[in-house]
Amino acid sequence: MVAPPDIATAAVEEAAAREDYFTYIEGVGHIPRDIYKHVKSDPAGDLPRYSTHIVIQHILVSTTFLVLAATGLSLFFADVFWAPYVIKLFGGADTARYVHRVAAAIMIFAAVYHILTLVAGTTKKVMNNEFDYRRTQIPRLKDLHDLIHDIKYFLGLEPFRPKMEKFCYKQKLHYLAIIWGTIVLVSAGLALLYPDVVSKTIPEAIFKISPGAATGGAFPTFFQDLARLMHADEAVMALIVIALWHLANVHIVPGRFPFQWTFLTGRITREHQIEEHFWEYIRNLEEIPEEKEYMRNLLREKGFEVSEPMDTTLSRQTPEPGSAEESTPEKEEN
Amino acid sequence: MARLRDLNSLKIIGTISTFFVLICVLLSISSYARAADEDNCLMCHKYRFLGRIDENGNRINYNVDPRIFNDTVHRTIACRECHNYIKKIPHDPVTEQVNCGTLCHVITPFSKERFSHQHIIEIYNSSVHAPKPDDSPKQKEAKPGCKFCHLNPIYSLPKHNIPYDVSLRRCLNCHQQKGVTQAYKHITHRIRRKTSRSSQEIVALCAKCHADKELMERFKVSQEALTAVETYKRSIHGESVTLGSQETADCISCHASNKLHDIYKKDDRRATIFSKNINKTCQQCHEQTNRWFVEIAVHPRSEGAGNPIVYFISISLRFALYGTVFGLVGLMLLETYGRKRKGIKFLLRHGTSWRGKATPEKSKQKIQKNNN
Repeated sequence: MVAPPDIATAAVEEAAAREDYFTYIEGVGHIPRDIYKHVKSDPAGDLPRYSTHIVIQHILVSTTFLVLAATGLSLFFADVFWAPYVIKLFGGADTARYVHRVAAAIMIFAAVYHILTLVAGTTKKVMNNEFDYRRTQIPRLKDLHDLIHDIKYFLGLEPFRPKMEKFCYKQKLHYLAIIWGTIVLVSAGLALLYPDVVSKTIPEAIFKISPGAATGGAFPTFFQDLARLMHADEAVMALIVIALWHLANVHIVPGRFPFQWTFLTGRITREHQIEEHFWEYIRNLEEIPEEKEYMRNLLREKGFEVSEPMDTTLSRQTPEPGSAEESTPEKEEN
Repeated sequence: MARLRDLNSLKIIGTISTFFVLICVLLSISSYARAADEDNCLMCHKYRFLGRIDENGNRINYNVDPRIFNDTVHRTIACRECHNYIKKIPHDPVTEQVNCGTLCHVITPFSKERFSHQHIIEIYNSSVHAPKPDDSPKQKEAKPGCKFCHLNPIYSLPKHNIPYDVSLRRCLNCHQQKGVTQAYKHITHRIRRKTSRSSQEIVALCAKCHADKELMERFKVSQEALTAVETYKRSIHGESVTLGSQETADCISCHASNKLHDIYKKDDRRATIFSKNINKTCQQCHEQTNRWFVEIAVHPRSEGAGNPIVYFISISLRFALYGTVFGLVGLMLLETYGRKRKGIKFLLRHGTSWRGKATPEKSKQKIQKNNN
């Protein structure tokens, strides 16, 4: 066996030995794991990733996030030199506070809209018997394995990237963080907006459970302090993660620089889909006949084994050891 | 010709009378400004460098700028109505202070009585700020009198002039705008707000003494009172005021009623912050208060001081923050390093980011070999 480009021979042999280099698709052929290095991609995106609803939600959330961060940070860090300038931009401290609340209301609306989209979309898929939890944001043990596999790959200990689903470990982590962050920020923000209600309900609830615990006057102050602390810390964390990690990941890292259009077009480039969301690409092949045609032509052009479309029913071969072994003799035959 | 001469004389008389009227008008205008100076104090005090160096080496300037004084609220009051200890001119060195409680000659239009600040001084005298008989001399010295806070605003030139057009609009139905003076502002502001000073000025004024720990220690105040300015500035109210908010509570919003000078210690029954009155005080802004709400610390201590749970949460949030940020950014950098090493380019051009090292042609040959 001779090594494919830029991969150490021993590693390829090892991979080939494990037979996860090729994925056989009925009607397409044997797709090599690193075919993403040879595909043509349109920067505006080739394959569907997000529905229009998600795109709208992202626009709502991202714009309100910027407004919230600008007003909120300058209100919280009032004594920092730039704070007065930002506050002036929003029309003074009193106006900035209202702007912050309006932006927060829009963001909460976007969150509710997102939940409705999720519920409606999932119901529709369940009704059509199309629902597959692997294509959702639900965390799995595989994500942890993928993370470890990916780190090994980056360090050069693995020949190929893991075959990941529509949402890989990075996205699931971020999604969980957003859920947590939204819950914390909304509840702490409401506690700051309605101190009279929150300072009454929580201590009274505690008082009902155990009258002895809430005798002191510490509770209202405690919850108010906690709300301020959580709101500010969580917001700073969100801002840093968005600014340093999210933006870098989607617009700066190689292949995405200088701008990735997915969040506006809702479509992902082919090479990105195959590299980071391999199984989702396989599903795309099954769902989009043009893509199947494209991949078959590409494989034929690159000199890989191509299977002619014999059947109208398409099936994807799962990476089970048994099925992987089956693909080997076919390759040997060629 | 006689007619012509008549006309000429008429012209001369006309010119002279016009000038006379003009002079009269000018005189009447200036006499308005001069009303306060019926003893001609400005004869000496108009000189800008009128002053002396006292026994302690302090330089004192006795100049009164009539242009500034004529814009102040006291501009219609003669000098000696307040400086009533001056019995002869030129006067002897002044040893007494002006007493703001003095009855002055201004007769208020409705009560027809002589105006005085006496009423407000009575309130002030009962408040914490007035010197008490059992105060030590050092404490007496540290307490603020009228002038300490009420430096005439025209002399202190307030930074944030609140637009008074809004409050004036209704007055202008009857009164003409050209008569608007500082006094007018002085009154109209008090219709809408407790004071004509901005919240920022109030906080700065109070902080002048209350942030001075050395001065406050003379009164043996509690730890809370010692750090009151510090903790207020940390509160949501304080932060908003720092940023220029005019809606948020400043010191006197809570510590004084509309009488303004009735500032008492919190265990005094008359105090706005006395436990039985505090609900009503908060209700000035927070409509729905309750017995729990009033316990929220308006002067919050620093994070976790005296509250181990908040301190613990704060510390663990810090750890979570740095852990997340460094972890994620580290992962991103590692990923970029790993992918760059495999030959990816930053820009997606000609339909691919995998140019160069992984050219399709080269790999094609190799893969073909591989397949064979």
